[in-house]
Amino acid sequence: MKRIRNLTSVNSLLRPAAVPAINASPSLLLRSSASTVASAAEIPETPSPELQPQLLSTLPPSRNPLASAKLPALHARLNLHPNYPIQTLARALVDPSADKDLRFTNQNLTTLGNTLTGYYAAEYLMVTYPRLPTEVLYAAVSAYVGNKALASLGREWGIESAFEPTADVDAGLLQFSRLAPGVDPKAALHRDPNAGSTLEHAMANLVRSVFAGVYLHEGLSATKQFFRQHVLSRKLDVDKLFDFTQPTRELSRLCAREGFEPPVARLLAETGRHSRHPVFVVGVYSGSELIGEGHGGSLDEARIRAAVNALKGWYLYSPPEKDLPSKTEESRDAKFKPAYIDPGEVIV
Amino acid sequence: MPVTPLRLISKSQNGVGAFVLQCKRMEFNYCDWAGSSKGMNSFLKHHLPKFAKANPQIEITVSPRPHKHPIIRSEYINGREKVICVRNLEHNQILQKAELLRNSSGLKLRRVTKPVSSMNESVRGIFSPFHGTGYAI
Repeated sequence: MKRIRNLTSVNSLLRPAAVPAINASPSLLLRSSASTVASAAEIPETPSPELQPQLLSTLPPSRNPLASAKLPALHARLNLHPNYPIQTLARALVDPSADKDLRFTNQNLTTLGNTLTGYYAAEYLMVTYPRLPTEVLYAAVSAYVGNKALASLGREWGIESAFEPTADVDAGLLQFSRLAPGVDPKAALHRDPNAGSTLEHAMANLVRSVFAGVYLHEGLSATKQFFRQHVLSRKLDVDKLFDFTQPTRELSRLCAREGFEPPVARLLAETGRHSRHPVFVVGVYSGSELIGEGHGGSLDEARIRAAVNALKGWYLYSPPEKDLPSKTEESRDAKFKPAYIDPGEVIV
Repeated sequence: MPVTPLRLISKSQNGVGAFVLQCKRMEFNYCDWAGSSKGMNSFLKHHLPKFAKANPQIEITVSPRPHKHPIIRSEYINGREKVICVRNLEHNQILQKAELLRNSSGLKLRRVTKPVSSMNESVRGIFSPFHGTGYAI
């Protein structure tokens, strides 16, 4: 498994925005105090022009995070460590559609955050539910860290968006430029994400950028804790993600593959058979063992529910000891028990 | 494939993991001329700095609202806002109102009749007449 690069090599993502007060090179400070004649000779060695950010003479308020009241409030609301600077949070709030310059937008942070959130959600689900079918696994990951889920999370963090990403906008607002009305968002985002964005897309990218900031400034274990507290604490009923088409057929293929006795549906209880509201309780047996039970208003409905419950009982198996693979990232000698690996989905 | 997924999103459970204070913004409006704003002016001088420091998650704004009663307007994460007119109140009473707004969730006031409200199904299960002992077909 590829190790995530350590902090020192990822600093290139956080090349600082051109803020003279914070990023003042020694030459500037010398020039202000010394005489103009002598200053030219005193300039120390500066890095090559391509690497130094272009210093702007006046800053628009949206590039001045220290003037915003919303940013420290957001910082405190998320309980971020003092090591996490306000400037990174401000940068996370600027979508690529708001600014052409990569140094001021959250594009790089989004990429990193996307990798982190996707990885942590996937590993958690794979270890907790090793037998989950692939499509359902993807849906579950999307339910935790997809665009809609992260956009909802961003709203719950109290982040508002600016109508237009102009220069006088508060640095604590999400800045992105909207698509024209009537434009198909998916096609437009696919074509050129820098031309315009939807609120959902921008909000989701913002949340990813915040995660990236936590990783860069606070470290790996803090990122995992942040993920557990904000994403994994959300409620997701994985059993509600299933949509079966022929559960009885699938169940009999599964029993054949696993070497169980073929499933037989038996009526366990019933009432009101010829009345307006009958209730049937059907159990699916493999040999003498009950593997699933379902109820319904008709015999067929109860039988199908029973098959569905039997399949869910199989797919939603969760091993008692769960060791996440990323446990080994934190300490090399952590005792790691490999996750249970399932043979695969049932081929019908 | 026989199994197709349904597209759902996870629901937030504020406080289960991280707790996010629902009050995100408070605006204090005072008046230099009105007598009803005396308590508010005193509150702003003596209590507000400590209140703001104790609640860094709330964005606090102070602005004059001439020739009007003093109010506290708070905005919440669910988008609603609550306004309390604090005319003729003493500074400690205004602090109580500010704390009340801070502790609120922004939802409309509603009567709570049930002792427990939860997203999870019951631990002991709902009664079923078909699963008792010796239910014979």
